[in-house]
Amino acid sequence: MKLELEIQGRLRAIELEPGASPGQYRVTLDGEVIEVEARLLRPGVLSLVVAGRSYRAVREDDAPAGNGSEVAVLVAGGRFPYRVEDSRSLKARRAHSGGHDGPKVIKASMPGRVVRVLASRGEEVAAHQGVVVIEAMKMQNELKSPKAGTVVEMRVAPGDTVSAGDVLAVID
Amino acid sequence: MTAFKRILIANRGEIALRIERACRELSIATVAIYSEADRAALHVLEADEAFLLGPAPATESYLRGDLILDIARRSGADAIHPGYGFLSENADFAEACEGAGIKFIGPTSSSMRALGSKTKARQAADAAGMPRTPGSTQALASLAEAYSVADEIHYPVMLKAAAGGGGKGMRAVSRREELKPAFEAAQSEALRSFGSDEVYLEKLIERPRHIEIQMLADEHGNCIYLGERECSVQRRHQKVIEEAPSPVVGPDLRRRMGEAAVRLAQSQGYTNAGTVEFLVDDERNFYFLEMNTRLQVEHPVTELVTGLDLVHLQIRIAQGEPLPVSQQDVELRGHAIECRVYAEDPDNGFFPSPGRITRLLQPGGPGIREDSGIYEGWVVPMDYDPMLSKLIAYAPTRELAIARLLRALDEYVIGGIRTNLGFFRRILSDEGFRSGRIDTGYLDRLLAGSARVDGGETGTSDETVAAVAAALFEALRPAPATAVQPAASAWKSAGRREGLGEGLRG
Repeated sequence: MKLELEIQGRLRAIELEPGASPGQYRVTLDGEVIEVEARLLRPGVLSLVVAGRSYRAVREDDAPAGNGSEVAVLVAGGRFPYRVEDSRSLKARRAHSGGHDGPKVIKASMPGRVVRVLASRGEEVAAHQGVVVIEAMKMQNELKSPKAGTVVEMRVAPGDTVSAGDVLAVID
Repeated sequence: MTAFKRILIANRGEIALRIERACRELSIATVAIYSEADRAALHVLEADEAFLLGPAPATESYLRGDLILDIARRSGADAIHPGYGFLSENADFAEACEGAGIKFIGPTSSSMRALGSKTKARQAADAAGMPRTPGSTQALASLAEAYSVADEIHYPVMLKAAAGGGGKGMRAVSRREELKPAFEAAQSEALRSFGSDEVYLEKLIERPRHIEIQMLADEHGNCIYLGERECSVQRRHQKVIEEAPSPVVGPDLRRRMGEAAVRLAQSQGYTNAGTVEFLVDDERNFYFLEMNTRLQVEHPVTELVTGLDLVHLQIRIAQGEPLPVSQQDVELRGHAIECRVYAEDPDNGFFPSPGRITRLLQPGGPGIREDSGIYEGWVVPMDYDPMLSKLIAYAPTRELAIARLLRALDEYVIGGIRTNLGFFRRILSDEGFRSGRIDTGYLDRLLAGSARVDGGETGTSDETVAAVAAALFEALRPAPATAVQPAASAWKSAGRREGLGEGLRG
């Protein structure tokens, strides 16, 4: 089985082949061959032995990682976000991030509640100007415009509850 | 002396659970209260009885003293334990409990009033002959008065809210020109946060340590101190790591600080558990800062080095028992360090990170205590403080306690939300912390310094292992949602489909 992963912003080609005995794999990662012995302890929790070293890897949630959406694996105290690249989503995202002049979105980095909207639709904003303030756990966070432009969409209003990754506004 | 049969716990999160555990151990029934956001919270699941207060906002639930007293009466509770935060230092609530004949587990409303306001506490400190920072002992009546006090004690100075806490209504002022805007800002912030715009001025101690004394007083005039806690590792005036004993406090300083704390408590007829906070300068002079008239978040480090259970003792004192230990019985052994584990993202300005805990693996083993209020699958609500748990290590020496904490942090996995677990790894590996060179500005300096240091280990990098794990997780994922079948067989068939799964479910 072959797949492409974007992990920590780096695109990596991985091939998995079953090894001689159950749980053994021959993994080719960007041309480098790694022998791995793996046990799925329970859904989302994997024990790996790589070159005699034992690791525990935890997949952060059960959500699928296809279509370019991001999940994360936790290894040795580190958090490694990744997405599975199919050629379509990769092409689309490359096209999207190609130019700096296209519309940019402001996304909620964390779940929270909208307390203030600082710019309304049609308003001009400068780069790094505050656009939306969200609050969670008694702390407020001002989300800033990624570029100078016009607020072409304002998707939230004070009092709305938002999830991480929700698009709050679009600037063009 | 009356033994309690039922205690209402007027709190949530880890501290509610901590108190429930103590009650269980003392064969006392527990009554939990909860907001609409907390129906599935651990403190509700673990209590004997549970009552709904109201909607999620604390002002409509955990701060509704009237509703809480009603529930106490209805459930037949003898006593209320307020925990920390919420109503724990609210003298009106304590007084309402007194009026209702329900024991408030803490000091009386009158000693709470005498010590709760920082200006009154400074007056009490003077009366008890206790060193304090130079400055005013009354609210500043005007900006003109602020100027004259500041000129007298010399800049830099600190403006503080009399009713304050948690860094709110607090402003450091280094020059005369800065006083006016700082005074106005502190007043308005104090009014917004505490409903009182009283502010006072004190001399700013440079690079102080924050060291506090735990004390206990019974209702028969006995009062003891249980050593100190070093709480200098702070971010935005919030404690992040606490330990006992302090690396800089020896027997003589401990005795002098402890005796001062006991004098203050006794001068106000204080009862139950309390903490006297001090600033300590680099010449080891100590200055009274304030008194906390409740159980502290960081009480476990004192429990570990003294072998005493503070919640048990709070309950026994409230039942009217005399203190079962005298000052000579208090002996400090070993070293304890606590990390406050928060749902926040150190890589994103420490912004809070509520949400579902999708994976939870908790640490254990020798010398590890985890006081937690979370479980896998629980959704951390966005309405309250982001503290998830306290990870505490105990060992014969400070060095070993640090090693134990680092080991436990490696075992601890919290997935689905961001936490500051990785941040603790950085602090505990930092030479400044390890050698005990800490003051209240330590963490800001660490954060301003260069970012994370990744171990220069040879062999397979963690990122490579993560990539391999990610690939295996994807290869072994159940078939897409179109296939309707039980999860277990989906795993198997996905494995078969790829010819990869055999042997994995070992």
